[in-house]
Formats: sequence, C-alpha cells, structure tokens
Amino acid sequence: MAEVRLVDIEKRYGSFVAVAKQSLTIENGEFLVLLGPSGCGKTTTMRMIAGLEEITAGDILIAGERVNDKPPKDRDIAMVFQNYGLYPHMTVGQNIEYPLKLRGVNKATRQQQVQDTAAKVELDALLGRRPSELSGGQRQRVALARAIVRTPKIFLMDEPLSNLDAKLRVTMRAELKHLHHELGVTTVYVTHDQMEAMTLASRVAVMREGRIVQLDTPRKIYAEPADLFVAGFIGSPSMNLVNGSVTAGRFRAEGIDVPVDLPDRDSVVLGIRPEELDIATDSSAPVAGKLYALELTGDSTLVTMRMGKTSVCARGPADFEAAINEPCYLTPKAGARFHLFDRNSGQRLDG
Amino acid sequence: MKERTLSYTLMVPAFLIVLATTLYPLAYSFVTSFREWDLTKQRRPGDFVGIENYVHAASESGFQNSLWVTTIFVVTSVIVTVVLAMSLALLLRREGRLHTFTRIILILPFAMSPALIGVSYRFMFNPEFGVLAKGIGAIFPALEGTPWLASPDLAMAILVITDVWHWTPYMTFMCLGGLASIPRETEEAARIDGASNLRIIFGIILPQMKGVLMVTAVLKTIFALKMFDQVVTLTGGGPGTSTETMAFFIFNVGFKWFDMGYASALAWILTAIMMIISAWYVRMLLSERKMATA
Repeated sequence: MAEVRLVDIEKRYGSFVAVAKQSLTIENGEFLVLLGPSGCGKTTTMRMIAGLEEITAGDILIAGERVNDKPPKDRDIAMVFQNYGLYPHMTVGQNIEYPLKLRGVNKATRQQQVQDTAAKVELDALLGRRPSELSGGQRQRVALARAIVRTPKIFLMDEPLSNLDAKLRVTMRAELKHLHHELGVTTVYVTHDQMEAMTLASRVAVMREGRIVQLDTPRKIYAEPADLFVAGFIGSPSMNLVNGSVTAGRFRAEGIDVPVDLPDRDSVVLGIRPEELDIATDSSAPVAGKLYALELTGDSTLVTMRMGKTSVCARGPADFEAAINEPCYLTPKAGARFHLFDRNSGQRLDG
Repeated sequence: MKERTLSYTLMVPAFLIVLATTLYPLAYSFVTSFREWDLTKQRRPGDFVGIENYVHAASESGFQNSLWVTTIFVVTSVIVTVVLAMSLALLLRREGRLHTFTRIILILPFAMSPALIGVSYRFMFNPEFGVLAKGIGAIFPALEGTPWLASPDLAMAILVITDVWHWTPYMTFMCLGGLASIPRETEEAARIDGASNLRIIFGIILPQMKGVLMVTAVLKTIFALKMFDQVVTLTGGGPGTSTETMAFFIFNVGFKWFDMGYASALAWILTAIMMIISAWYVRMLLSERKMATA
C-alpha cells in the first residue's frame, strides 16, 4: 500500500501533447478511476505510473520515493491489461506463479501462494489449463490473480473489463470492488465507461484532451459537474443540455421557462438530468414540446420530446403511454437541480 | 451442368502444360530409375534392372560423400540462418527511421541470383585480389594469403556463409512477422512482473515464436537440401569432392557421366527426403493452426 504522487508530469510526442502538465495525488488505499473518451490521455497517464512510458517532464513518487528512472519491475506495481496479457505458453498456475518465480520466492511458498490466490478468484479448478482454453471472464480472473499474488504497493488496471460481455462485466465489477475492499491496495483504474467509474471509484478523475477536468467523488461529479463536458459524459441517459438566456431571474429557451438564481446574461446552457423531470399533463408546465420517442427500459420509460431543434429526455413511469408528435409537458421534480454553464467557456456558472 | 463442362474445358490447356512439363518428366524419371541407361552407349533407355540403382546408391562412395556433405551443409546453414534471422528480427522490430532503412537494404542479398552470389564470393575470397581475403589479411596478418577455397573445411565454411548471407534477410522478415503477432501486453506484463530483458526474450518471446521458428527452420532445410547454384559457381564441388552436395552430385552423374538410370534413382532419393520433411512441415502447420484457433 502506498500513496502515488504525480508532480507536474507531462507527456509529449514531438509537438503533440498527450498529457498536459498537471499534478495528481492518489491517496493510500484509494480506488482512483481515470475516466474519459479514447485519446484523452488516461492510459498514457497510467503507463507513465507503470514505467512503460517515459515521462517528458515532472516527477512520479510512489510511497514518497521518486521512481522516474526506475524500471517497472522496481516500482512494486502490478498491472491488469485490457487484453489480459497472459503468457499463452504457460498454464494458469504458471501464469500466476511467474511474478513470484522472478522474484526468487522458494517453490513451496510459491505454490502455497498460487493456491491461496487462485481460491480467492475461484480459479482453483483451472490451474492446469492454458489461457486459450479459458473464457474471457476466466482469463480476466487469471490476470487479476497474477496481479494480486504478490501483494504489490499499487494496482494498475487498464480497462480490464472492456473485453467482457455486458452481463459478465457487472459481475466482475462487483468482484473487483470486493477485492479492493479486502486487500485495501491503492488502485488506479482506467476506463471510458462512466458506469464503471461511478460504481468502483473512491474518486474519479475525468480527463479530456490530456487534462484532468474534474477530480472528485463520484457523487460530487454526478451532482455538480464542473463543466459541460463532464455534465454530458456522466449519467445515462446523459444530462439534458439546453441553450438559452437568463432574463429577470428566469432561464428561457424555446419551450422552456424556469426560474433560476442567476443575473441576466446570454449564452447560458441549462442542464437537468432526465431522472429529475416528471411528466405533466398541464399545458402551463415549464417545459413544453412535442413527443418525439418513447423507449421502455423495463423499470421506466424514457420520454424524449422536441422543442424546435432541442430535445429533452425524461425518465417517466414504466406504464406511461402517449402518441408520438402530440404535445407533451414536463415539470422538474421537487428539489430538482438546475445546472447552469457558460456556453462559450463551458464552465459551470452556479456554485 | 453446361457451366461445369465449360469450366473443365477451360482447364484443359493448363492441365496439358502441367502434364507435359511436370507430370510426364516426373513419371519418366521414376520409370528410368528402375532401368539401366548409359547415354554414351544407348540412345533409348535400356533394360529394367529392378531396384539395382537404389541398391547401388547405398554402397557407392560418391553418393555417400554427397549425403554427408549435404547433411553438414544443411545442419550448419539452417542453425546459423535461423539464429541470425531471429536475432536480427529482435533488433529490427522497433519502429524508427533507421530500422525501416535497415529493413529495406536487408532485402538486397535476397534479391540477388544465387549463381551470381557464388561468382562474387569466389572473387572476394581470391587470395591475390579478393576484397574479403585481403581485408581479413589486413586485420589478421597471419591469415594473409590463405587459399580460402582450396581448403576443404574453409571451402565448406564459405559455402555456408554465402547461403546464410543469401537467406538470412528472408528468414528475418518471417521472424519479424511472427514477432508482430505477439501481443505487446505479454512482454509488458513480464516487464512489470520483474523479468530482465534476456528473460523476456527466452522466457516470453521465444516460446511464443516456436511455431514461426519451426516453419522457418523446415523451409530453410528444404531450400538447403537443393543447394546447387553456389556449388557450381563458387567451389565446383571442390576441393576434391568436399563440397559436392547431393544436387550437384546428381547433376554430375546425369550430365557429366551420362548414367541416367542411376541419376534418376538418386534424384528420387532426394525427392523422398524432401517429401518426408514437407509432410512433417504440413502436419506441423495444421497443428499450429489448431492451437491458434483453440
């Protein structure tokens, strides 16, 4: 277990900036998720911590020790790769054993540790198999077992669940969370899946174009996105974002008129989450438009309506039914939160 | 039905050409191998002698010698080529301008005709004016004036060198292809797990290259078994019979001594050896494929 500190680190490939100069401290025992779309620099950041990628500038400290010039093997880390990175010519048992063997652990201890670890991730029956004989989920478990077998200071996980099917991903997510709880090892986890980030993280660092745009707890990121990018990225279905202006304490746009606490200004984007809107019957409701689509998700119905060029989505009851293209009204739920952003800078305007 | 007839009809010319240029000569040589046929005495093949030509091969010293020469040549040239090709591939697999440039010029030896390689090396190892002979003499004065191609062992060594020089580039490309198919993560995982560079090569990369290396070695073996061009232009089989490979010996039996029956029998022995190796190669390829899809 250890704290990881990235101090003014930067990564450039020629003139292209992959990771912009910035600092980040990952607390001891924390589960930090680097979240962002592909090409945002999250994997590069992780690979720099691992020592697989040289840093252009700055320092990386693991447990207070500067590791810039240390090769990966001397950083006491373990990594789980998106494509598992298993050794195809070794059996499951040999795969798990390999890091111990390289570190000169004696055979008896090695075999004991392999057994214990395999039991932890339910692989004990498969130790003699080759990776090619395993399913995706089993392979991912082997990769996990190989990472945890020697209890490193830091776990690095690079999109470990993205090659699994949706159902298995949910199961493995829970297993990962439980494992982190049990081992308490500082973990850095890279993903582009906001659901994974929300469910697993102690803190999430949302990245965009090589920069961390928001670093906060999942709850805070959901409740108070720092800018338009985070607002649109977190949540499913994503937050409704409507362009308009504020005059006399009211936000107005085509089909929308709601009270807000902001001085008069133009180029404002109002954000409200679909789950904070209710379907109304009354034509005086603050959001009015035409019904565009109904999508039943099982426990609820996603209601999309259009006002001119903008569309707004609400999560309604599962039994809601209405005719497409007919007038439709929405009203914010009691206690619903409006998020206001500057359209040009994208920055949050209210507290 | 009509379309089928048409397609067979269209194939007839190609079949006739293959029949005339490949199948008929093959069958003819197979039949000849069981007959006596001294071209200096008879214009047409003589009597059937059963397996006499084959029995003769088992005891005749010229053929025994060529079998031994070929074995030494094949074993050394295959080992050196494969080791060198794999090492070069490991050096060249990274991306970069210098790497790309080296890969391009690496093509050149392979683009040269084997007969010309023999001629060039004969000149280069000429003790009077050869650039290599003189160069070696300049670095090691004790070797100045060594008659390279006049010593049986040295001549064989030079024959192997020319062959390795010719084939290593091609085999390097095969190894580069194999290396490219190894997932980068396995190497990175090993690096994080604590493996040294040597350990990564021997413990992680080479085991994954097993299939490619086997294929490379078998192909090189088949090519080396046919060694003929450089023998003709570099050593002429000499000094003495020290570099007389099987292909070269068979050529001599047939077209110098005109013993067509015996030459055919020897050619079929060489073919049999190659077919055994090819069959093994195909079986290996199939099992590799099975492993890859598993």
